[in-house]
Amino acid sequence: MTIPKKISEQLVKKLVELKDTSELMLDLAYSALLLNSKELAEEVEELEEHVDDLHTEFELLALRSGFSPKESKDFLGLIRLGVVTEAIADAAAQIAEVVLRGIKPHPILKMVIEEADETVTRVQIAENSPLAGKTLREAEIPEKTGMWVLVIRRGNKWIRPKPNTKIQAGDIIIASGYAEGEEDLTKLATAKADGNLSSTAKNSYS
Amino acid sequence: MGGRLALKLGASKSMTEFEKVEYKPVPIRELLTEMKDISELMIDLAYSAALFHSKELAEEVLELESYIDNLVYLLNMNAMLAARDAEDAEALLSVTAVASAADKISDAAADMAAIVLKDIGVHPLIRQAFQKVEEHLTRVKVEPNSFFVDKTVGELKLAPTIGVDIIAIRRGRKWIIDPEDEEIIREGDVLIARGAGAGIEEFEEAAEGKIEKLEEE
Repeated sequence: MTIPKKISEQLVKKLVELKDTSELMLDLAYSALLLNSKELAEEVEELEEHVDDLHTEFELLALRSGFSPKESKDFLGLIRLGVVTEAIADAAAQIAEVVLRGIKPHPILKMVIEEADETVTRVQIAENSPLAGKTLREAEIPEKTGMWVLVIRRGNKWIRPKPNTKIQAGDIIIASGYAEGEEDLTKLATAKADGNLSSTAKNSYS
Repeated sequence: MGGRLALKLGASKSMTEFEKVEYKPVPIRELLTEMKDISELMIDLAYSAALFHSKELAEEVLELESYIDNLVYLLNMNAMLAARDAEDAEALLSVTAVASAADKISDAAADMAAIVLKDIGVHPLIRQAFQKVEEHLTRVKVEPNSFFVDKTVGELKLAPTIGVDIIAIRRGRKWIIDPEDEEIIREGDVLIARGAGAGIEEFEEAAEGKIEKLEEE
């Protein structure tokens, strides 16, 4: 690689953010539809603008990196990958727009989203839930249920989950994952868990 | 894992010639579920094709893209016929908007696959980036001593236990895309899977015969 290390690190960082954000947006957009939630749809719209900026920065950075003519094909591949993530973000925004324009999601959509391999679900954290008071890292929701926390709703606020985000009783957690994990998550959130989750993953193995 | 509608629809596998569009009555829900699943699968397959330098996988993505195109036509026709009045038309708008978004995603995946097929190149930085993203992709060969051997995909319960999903299997020269639960894993199969970091590591170790099971019961 002939390009400066600093630029290559930035390119990787931006590409990671582009990919992760575009996929998050898609999940959020489906959640927005499922819940007919304007707030969630607005979140998608805001992320779309963010992705647009990020994508432009990424492309400028790639073009400015000073690659050699020999590397031009590789760089074209890199730029095209950015275009793919941007297209996914656009598609997510298009889905969110349905909600923002006040088109009531057709009942079929609810069935599709809930029936597809990956599902979106919302659960409220009960007072006595083992999750209440834990950070997301401590809660190990993906390990225990196979579900990913997409966004947390606290009062009127949407919180984007970080490992050190603390879960509070009353929070509404919106999560996606395989349909099998949905029941486990509901059990955990409503404090009916007694340690007998069907899919408790091992933390270590020998 | 979604049951493939392809057989039922008799979708064309040809990439070069267009299939005549013909109306078939198919429930909109089935069509849309299939479109959502396949378009998301295509993205990961296309990324995998780039990461693992597989032109064959890239070609599979292009075939799925033409399959999605057929589904879009069918969905639109079925939606048109389902609308009896203005109210229905408005309600169905949300369905066609989502279908068009899924189509857009499948087009993006096909563009990515085209990069691989045209030898445009996958920059080493892409590999670095893919080690840092939330959802990881892996390619692993099933070793003779792995407990995966002779089990069906469904039996392994990969999704509920470790959040991993096998998106394709290469068996010799044959590719099985989005394998059904009933598909039996054989020794020597190359599995392409997606999932979060820790789950993927466990999956790789299991396929390589380094661990005996996925979890404590």
